Amino acid sequence: MEEANRDIKEAYKIECINVSKSYNYGEKTEVKVLDKVNIKAKENEFVVVLGPGQSGKTTLFRLIAGFERPTAGEVYVNDKKVASPNPKIGFVFQKYMLFPWKTVIGNIEMGPKLMGISKKKRREIANYYIKLVGLEGFENYYPNQLSGGMKQRVGIARSYANNADILLLDEPFGQLDAQTRMFMEKEIMRMWNQEKKTVCFVTNNVDEAVFLADRIICLEGKLPGRVNKIYNVDIPRPREFTDIPFIKLREEIKNNMELIL
Amino acid sequence: MDKMNSKALKPYLSVLDIFQNKNVLSIISMIIFLLLWDFIVVRGIAGSYLPRPIEVFDRFLYILKNPLAGKTLVGHLLISLKRVFIAFIIAVIFGIPIGVLMGFNQYARAIMKPVFDLFKPMPPIAWISLAILWFGIGETSKVFIIFIGSFVPIVVNSYNGIRLVEPELYDAIRILGADYWQEHLEVTFPGSFPAIFAGMQISLSIGWTCVLAAELVGAREGIGFIIVMGMNVGNVAQIIVGMLVIAAVAFLLSVGLNYLERKVCPWKKQIET
Repeated sequence: MEEANRDIKEAYKIECINVSKSYNYGEKTEVKVLDKVNIKAKENEFVVVLGPGQSGKTTLFRLIAGFERPTAGEVYVNDKKVASPNPKIGFVFQKYMLFPWKTVIGNIEMGPKLMGISKKKRREIANYYIKLVGLEGFENYYPNQLSGGMKQRVGIARSYANNADILLLDEPFGQLDAQTRMFMEKEIMRMWNQEKKTVCFVTNNVDEAVFLADRIICLEGKLPGRVNKIYNVDIPRPREFTDIPFIKLREEIKNNMELIL
Repeated sequence: MDKMNSKALKPYLSVLDIFQNKNVLSIISMIIFLLLWDFIVVRGIAGSYLPRPIEVFDRFLYILKNPLAGKTLVGHLLISLKRVFIAFIIAVIFGIPIGVLMGFNQYARAIMKPVFDLFKPMPPIAWISLAILWFGIGETSKVFIIFIGSFVPIVVNSYNGIRLVEPELYDAIRILGADYWQEHLEVTFPGSFPAIFAGMQISLSIGWTCVLAAELVGAREGIGFIIVMGMNVGNVAQIIVGMLVIAAVAFLLSVGLNYLERKVCPWKKQIET
């Protein structure tokens, strides 16, 4: 039935169909984290998954990335069923997950290195993306010498350099202070405009969602995670936090969020 | 008026500044220790079995130049170091693979971990009697005791090193397209290396402190022998020389290994300082 449904639709980069996920803790305690979630993302679309803590956002992303299998339902990426971690997807972790023993450039060229691209060629690739994310001059720093915002730039560049055409960003700015966060939101917009990708972005911050998204997928406030509402954001870019439509949409989402909390 | 005051305060402040220098404080502390030691001896507080620092130093110079039981101090030192290094190399060759296996394989862990938990708190010196019964009083029993002391920390640290690699780093390398071997080459190995190296550091320093225990029985050479001989002939200065040499070598080993660690794990240098 689901297979038949898929045929009539247009091509999606990411498609989650009735995805459910449960974890077993011990013999009888089963925690349902996701319940029949349906999510789609078109090519070069910027989709933001918005939900408070403990709403299954990270789990959803881990399923799309192929780190884990869903308990029920199907996840398709580039029209292929996800079975294992897929290098076509770039994953930016909330806790950075840079390789501490690699310098900035060493981290960024890791993808090409694993593919066996020659040292000279991968240096070129890495240098290009170091420029894109604005890390010139920090090539030979180790991650523990960088600030949070810079670490996340490395994470983004690492995904770009691996030639991923889908970026999953799991609360990438969750650990940054408010000012750095706002700056990084503008930066991610700039990078995305410069090199378009399909982006899925998790956040619990309504402003961030409205600022970035083509489409906002609002999850419910408690487990199991379900899709509550989908907003299409057609405010022209570049957006300002003080635009009237911006504020209106933000208030609408906030009021709705208060209901689900 | 204010300026006058600050000028008047200046020399007073600069004396304080000297005392805020940690190296100066360390040197002062050593001098006070030696003076106190000397004072106690001269006043006869410690009885007749404690020589003055200067006598210890004289004895040090004497056995540095004159052979004792056929070897000078340096000769004895090299003998002890050789024993420690042989035992250490054996401990590394067996300890790292066992620890790594325990870290990777839950069955290997289930089988071997209880055994190690049993042996872990057992002091190496407790093995002396068994070592002598099994291997006699030759080289083997000495190397064996040092090996016992240095083996356990290597296994435990290798095991923990593998187990404590951040699991999400495996996700990070997999999503970049790594296969099984690349995963281990790029994450497991560098991720566990600092812990394994730390295990080797601990192991070497424990091995060195075990050398005395190993040489207490039937040794005819080595730093431990110098101490035992000092005891047998009632030469307290010689005992203390032996003790100080053991401490000095331990210190130099740890300085050297810290330096080496900074060379092989450059990403850790920020944390170190």
